[in-house]
Amino acid sequence: MIKLINLTKVYRGLRAVDGINLEIEKGHIFGFLGPNGAGKTTTIKMMAGVLSPTEGQIIINDMDLVKDPSGVKQCVGFIPDRPFVYEKLAGIEFLRFIAGLYHLDHTPLLSHRISELLELFELGQWGEELIESYSHGMKQRLVMCAALLHEPEVLIVDEPMVGLDPKGARLVKNIFKDQAVKGTTVFMSTHSLDVAAEVCDEIAIIQGGHIIARGTASALRRQAGVGGNLEQIFLKLTEGKGLANARPLSSH
Amino acid sequence: MQDLYLLIKPRFLGFRNRMARSDRRTKKRAFVMGGLGLFFCLGLFIVSCRVLIHFQSAEVIGDLLARQLLSMIFLTFFSLLIFSHIITALSNLYISKDLELCHSTPVVLEEVFISRAVYTLMDSSWMLIIFGLPIFMAYAYVYGAGPGFYFTLLHMSLSMAMIAGGIGILITMVLVYVFPAHRTRDIIMLLSVVMLVGLYFLFRFLRPERLVDPDAYFTIMQYMSALKMPQSPYIPTQWISDALWAVLTGKGGEDYLFYIMLTWTTAGAIAVISVWVARAIYFEGLSKSQEAKKRRAGGKRALDLLVELIKKPFGVDLGAIIAKDIRTFFRDNTQWSQLLLLGALVVVYVYNFSVLPLDKSPIRLDFLQNELAFLNMGLAGFVLAAVSARFVFPAVSAEGEAYWIVRSSPLRLKRYLWGKYLFFLAPMLILAEVLIIGTNYMLEVTRFMMFLSSITMFFMVFGILALGIGFGALYPNFKYENIAQVATGFGGVLYMIVSSIFIGAVIVLEAGPVYILFMANLRGNTISLFQWLFIIVSFSAVLVINITAIFKPIKMGLKALREYE
Ligand SMILES: Nc1ncnc2c1ncn2[C@@H]1O[C@H](COP(=O)(O)OP(=O)(O)OP(=O)(O)O)[C@@H](O)[C@H]1O
Ligand SMILES: [Mg+2]
Repeated sequence: MIKLINLTKVYRGLRAVDGINLEIEKGHIFGFLGPNGAGKTTTIKMMAGVLSPTEGQIIINDMDLVKDPSGVKQCVGFIPDRPFVYEKLAGIEFLRFIAGLYHLDHTPLLSHRISELLELFELGQWGEELIESYSHGMKQRLVMCAALLHEPEVLIVDEPMVGLDPKGARLVKNIFKDQAVKGTTVFMSTHSLDVAAEVCDEIAIIQGGHIIARGTASALRRQAGVGGNLEQIFLKLTEGKGLANARPLSSH
Repeated sequence: MQDLYLLIKPRFLGFRNRMARSDRRTKKRAFVMGGLGLFFCLGLFIVSCRVLIHFQSAEVIGDLLARQLLSMIFLTFFSLLIFSHIITALSNLYISKDLELCHSTPVVLEEVFISRAVYTLMDSSWMLIIFGLPIFMAYAYVYGAGPGFYFTLLHMSLSMAMIAGGIGILITMVLVYVFPAHRTRDIIMLLSVVMLVGLYFLFRFLRPERLVDPDAYFTIMQYMSALKMPQSPYIPTQWISDALWAVLTGKGGEDYLFYIMLTWTTAGAIAVISVWVARAIYFEGLSKSQEAKKRRAGGKRALDLLVELIKKPFGVDLGAIIAKDIRTFFRDNTQWSQLLLLGALVVVYVYNFSVLPLDKSPIRLDFLQNELAFLNMGLAGFVLAAVSARFVFPAVSAEGEAYWIVRSSPLRLKRYLWGKYLFFLAPMLILAEVLIIGTNYMLEVTRFMMFLSSITMFFMVFGILALGIGFGALYPNFKYENIAQVATGFGGVLYMIVSSIFIGAVIVLEAGPVYILFMANLRGNTISLFQWLFIIVSFSAVLVINITAIFKPIKMGLKALREYE
């Protein structure tokens, strides 16, 4: 369960996130949509405890992130938008490192889980290689392995599909669905409206730091007053100035 | 040329933007740092002045000593410059993230190269301004030199930096080109051995111990001619110091114009040669350096064993961090080179003591030994601070862009910082005690001084380390391209300054009481009540300073790290 209360972040006068209130039920997949610079990454970083909020509260599993950061983080898995990792470690070493941080003991069970995850993400034969020789998508997959390693109750994901091949994207969608069935709450931002439409139980649209709409896809459709697919709803709601009726650049 | 200007501009724009957009806290920090830097420069200036005035009091040989010192300073700076150019050239020419962008534009290769060379020059040289300028100003002050001296100093230093930079960049380019990328570690090993040998010869060549050993020569004349000896016409720093000396004293005739021309033509020639070599091999080297290396199985097992051994006393979470740090350390070549560089520093430091001709000194031996023991404490402290600036200070920044992993993990920052602290504690304590006991042994100090210095060093390590971790957290740099850069950044320099002040304060506070005790012992007087009071207050102040140095910086660092975004 995730609860954001009046969450606000001010960067030197710029209100990047401005008084967000959200409540997400356990086992739901929540899609966080919005144009570039809307405040998605900022919100997500605050939820992961990487950035401190200027105001407001973040409650995860009935614990306050500011009051008990370690307790909250122990049950959260975070996948950032760019997969920065320790380049000089091998894949397996990296996962063992993460296991240590989350207090998972060094047991055969852990080794089993690590190789299982690596196989799942098709990194099986890369485990012994240094991460610096991985491609972007491979690093992305590795970070996902790391986030799932301690079986988090809440997954916080920033644009998971960027850099993944179609098969990888399919895989990730399935994993999120599986996790949700098992009771994990998934909070993800995405630019892919197809993904949002396919996997999310509920969607919120953020713009200029404000939530301008939230609900299921059909509720949003009603709110926007347009029919058709999610793209049209999105453009309508964010008023897609100059975007909806944009023309390609003319070459002089 | 237009392109070259464009390529260099981003650096200045970035600097200007950072200045213009800094908030109040950054401004305050900059102010504090500027103040401390100035304080340090002033101290260095005063010390240099005193040394020079002291030299002048010795008739004939005073000038000779001062001149000798000047050329030693230039030679030292010159070799430091070459080494720092090698390190920064590696990152500016081969690792930098914007290289891809630059090379994908239609700008010609030579201009990309020159812009990177200019960056390298700026990165490597600015520290020398802080450390060098006060010394040269002291020369100017003592010898009453005019603006002409400063003008000569300015352009001679520039040409020296260009020569050293050219040499450093050429070495880097050739090495990267000749050796395949996965051999970099071997290259750096080789290079460091060469540097060590070079350093040894440099010191043999300068023979600094001669300066304290006038009795070894029968007459003043012999002493003077011995001092004059190492004049090599092929070393650029000799031309530079000769030219500066001529301007400084007004003596030296017309030769100095010749030296200036010689220096500048050499600088010009090296610049042209560098561009010419770059045209031939730079790009290929760059392509080569981009491939990641294959791992060697044998090394892995040994490393695993080492990691298991070291992380044992720590908890699971800290153990994980430590294991990661050790692995990264052994796999990152830039860190290896640093270790060897510091090894060289330690060797030179110990070597200096092994050759001191103590028995020939005209001053009372026990008195001199006391003085030297204090000096030695300062030097050993400085060496430790330098070691810790390279390894402890960057410990937090070492997380790099992967810092989010630590931040989003359940590990508490306080535990994280103290974990890093404890990790360095044992090795630093061992290094400190080996250094101080070894050198004191060579100095044959009294038992009391041996005791006092090893105890002082022991406690000082706690402070030096905490300052390193604390300042590292106060001024983290997670976006470096090469970990070697972290220590040479603003925070690193500030750390060096603050820890020097810390070490100096402890030693000065201890020296007073020891002098009283020593004198009382020598003359057989009793120590007055007032003196006892003074002794107690001094030692209590040492205690307070030490405790503050342990807890305050880490607390400040913790706060800064919590607010970091
Ligand atoms: N470190 C920062 N300092 C100052 N402003 C920032 C910083 N990071 C983000 N911002 C600003 O905050 C706003 C929200 O940025 P954020 O990264 O959250 O957007 P986003 O919704 O994730 O966009 P995108 O879809 O492009 O990823 C933007 O206006 C951005 O300029
Ligand atoms: Mg974003």
